[in-house]
Amino acid sequence: MGELSSMTPTETLDVLGRVCPYPLVLTKKAVEKLPSGGLLKILCDAPASAEDSLPRFAEKQGYKFESTKLDDKGYWEIYIQKS
Amino acid sequence: MATKKLAFMVKTLPYKTEESRLALTHAIASQTVEIYLEDGEMVEPVVAFFGDGVMNCLKNQKAMNTYGVTSIESHLKNSLLLDLKVLICKEDVERLGLSEDSLIMDAEDIGGETKASIVPFTEIMKEMETSDHLLFF
Repeated sequence: MGELSSMTPTETLDVLGRVCPYPLVLTKKAVEKLPSGGLLKILCDAPASAEDSLPRFAEKQGYKFESTKLDDKGYWEIYIQKS
Repeated sequence: MATKKLAFMVKTLPYKTEESRLALTHAIASQTVEIYLEDGEMVEPVVAFFGDGVMNCLKNQKAMNTYGVTSIESHLKNSLLLDLKVLICKEDVERLGLSEDSLIMDAEDIGGETKASIVPFTEIMKEMETSDHLLFF
């Protein structure tokens, strides 16, 4: 278990079934509402978002990022911590 | 810091064409391009419906029943969910005999907080004048 996934998230965002660009745009909106240091957990099954746009967004913003693909469930659990 | 304002101007009817759907898709997608831009560069979209385009904003669209496609209504609500600025031309609403009650003005049913605005065409003109790029659909 990673550093972020071992913590209790401040909010959880379920974007299962949504494809690009919705996961990223909804994540941006959710992160904006988080307090500094807040942790967002995202459930996402869109590969382009989980493997490209979401990590790119977190990196650009300087946020901590962690992602785990749950092969048995067919989606990713992604954690973004707002700095 | 540079902000590029994009105005998506929708003047076509909602169905038997992809134009208004493309306008909304591009407007929504424009919210994601910041991750590919240089630091400090931003994109600010505005969507305006005028002329026959205001018909895209009608409530209770039955596109799946009639045409077998998802409705523009859901795309418009997603735009409001994502806080896009949506303007509807007041003069054309009146010309077509529509009322505010008959139009999609919010997306509260899917958690949206932003509302569409019915505005005089002069306000839409101001948006066009202050935009870096105008895209007509």
